[in-house]
Amino acid sequence: MAIAKAERLMNLALCLLGTRRPLSKRELRGSIEAYLEAGADDAFNRMFERDKDDLRELGLIIETVENLEGETGYLARRDSNRLPPITLDAEEAAALGLAAKVWQQARLAGAASGALQKLRAAGMPEAEDSYDVQPSALEPRIPVHEAAFEPLMLACRDRRPVVFDYRKATAARPETRQVEPWTLECWRGHWYLAGWDRDRGAERVFRLSRITGKVRSRAGAFTAPVPDAVTVRETVESWAGETATRSARIRLRAGCGYPLRARAQSVTQGADGWDELEIPYGHGLDAWLVEFGPDVVVLEPADLRADVVDRLRAVAKG
Amino acid sequence: MAANAIDQTRRMLSLVTYLRERPGAHVADVARAFGITEDELISDLDVLPMCGTSFRGGDLLDIDTDGDRIWWRNPGALGADAAEPLRLAADEATALLVAARAVATLPGLREGDREALLRATAKLEAAAGEAAGASSRLSVTFESEGGVFAEVDRAISERRRLWLRYYSPARDELTEREVDPIRLFAVGHTYMEAWCRLSEARRTFRLDRVAEIRILDEHSAPPEIELRDLSEGLVQPSADDPEVVVEVGPGGRWVAEYYPHDRADELPDGGLRITLRTPDPTSLRRLALRLGSDGRIVSPQGLADSAREAAIAALAAYEGRE
Repeated sequence: MAIAKAERLMNLALCLLGTRRPLSKRELRGSIEAYLEAGADDAFNRMFERDKDDLRELGLIIETVENLEGETGYLARRDSNRLPPITLDAEEAAALGLAAKVWQQARLAGAASGALQKLRAAGMPEAEDSYDVQPSALEPRIPVHEAAFEPLMLACRDRRPVVFDYRKATAARPETRQVEPWTLECWRGHWYLAGWDRDRGAERVFRLSRITGKVRSRAGAFTAPVPDAVTVRETVESWAGETATRSARIRLRAGCGYPLRARAQSVTQGADGWDELEIPYGHGLDAWLVEFGPDVVVLEPADLRADVVDRLRAVAKG
Repeated sequence: MAANAIDQTRRMLSLVTYLRERPGAHVADVARAFGITEDELISDLDVLPMCGTSFRGGDLLDIDTDGDRIWWRNPGALGADAAEPLRLAADEATALLVAARAVATLPGLREGDREALLRATAKLEAAAGEAAGASSRLSVTFESEGGVFAEVDRAISERRRLWLRYYSPARDELTEREVDPIRLFAVGHTYMEAWCRLSEARRTFRLDRVAEIRILDEHSAPPEIELRDLSEGLVQPSADDPEVVVEVGPGGRWVAEYYPHDRADELPDGGLRITLRTPDPTSLRRLALRLGSDGRIVSPQGLADSAREAAIAALAAYEGRE
């Protein structure tokens, strides 16, 4: 049976961390059983390159140094790989423990536990050590259902341009977009990407659930400067109609439409079983008001009233 | 599995550091400290004796367990400083920092917890150094109703019953109920899972739909029930629920993003034919009204009729005024 990958990676890590001088590929091959069994040079070389990449993903800084004979040597210096001193008290440890549980995405969940284990090895106390720490009953979870999440997260991290097919909310067919990805943001349980759209020559926000097919990496660097602050949330809020620009007056049947009442600027009770409300009027209010059917009547403005009547007529036609 | 090998390697590197400080550590304690099962720990302990700086030199790690305690007989094998804690990787710093910052934004979080989290975040940023840089490229905001949240949190920790006035969008009405809270969780919005005394069943309440809340004097006594598995999504229609078919045009494709469904078939005009199940089809009347010219209910007929009747009744108010 082939030697397990974890054993091979562990041996390579210990060799690189344990050495004071750079070790050549030949020396490493002689010290690690799995590499001896790897067979042909090609197979070994491919395996060795992949393993180094994997260890770098784990945070190891591996230096390559050329010796006098022109042979490349590798080592992971202790001083560049050491965790700086960090002292966390039991409350801080418990708070981080709660935070680490929020990820439901395999890669980030693994990374978060890995980080806690490194901190634990560095002396972070266990929550159980302290009897007066009672954590909050909250269980926050960050949902990640979109397949595009992981490739985009890595592309944002490494600042790599990407290409993907994207179907806009109201478009029937997807379109290919070339994007320099800046940041990912989760809001109200949905993930959004902000970046530079190369074809449009402008900043754009994309909703991950509308990416169809695979996210592919492009060679080369970013061409547009990355802004210091990216306003994903403001853009999404204006899509969702949360940015009210005006206000509207409506009649609402008594006892109905609690969410409308909750955000009303004023409510006047009428004697006829109807109340009059003033509410913020932003994009999408017409569609929302129609949901309440015969329990809402729009008084003004006239354009909102006309939009609501149009929508109602479409439904009445069947 | 490649992902597992990476996680296991990461864990074993930390284990080596941890075990060196604790000769004769108990398997149960170490597994708990590392957040893994005892079986996972034992499988790591099976691999470690094959590891070292050279398998030929005979300096493999001599780590051994009897299933209860763990002994490392040659802790010098790695050299004096070769088992120090390792720096955080970019992904590790990102995973922990983004989560900590997100949790710290929860308005209902206890002040003590928030302060501890902010202190830990600052220390972590300092210790992670440049590995913390990429964490600004990912962010998460939770939504929650601060006051309601704090009351639920207190009721859970004091084991008290709650009285609620709760809004049901499906019926557009407020109902009063007494519930025994079980837990709070946040998936986009913040929710309470509770045992509802009125319906004698487990119910999930979205906190931004709680119009009023009061902690009662009675003790809460929810029956022992298995917690819902949140990884499958919040809405999990059952196979027995009635089927609803909705046809939407391109402007109504968002329905497929918001409603869990069994199937969504492409239509020639760029729209979708969506088949979904719900315990209460009347709750979808709102959807039919909202869609307007962007879609219609195909079946059940009763639901399509009720949407049409509601629209006709609503229009009457406008026609009388025009």
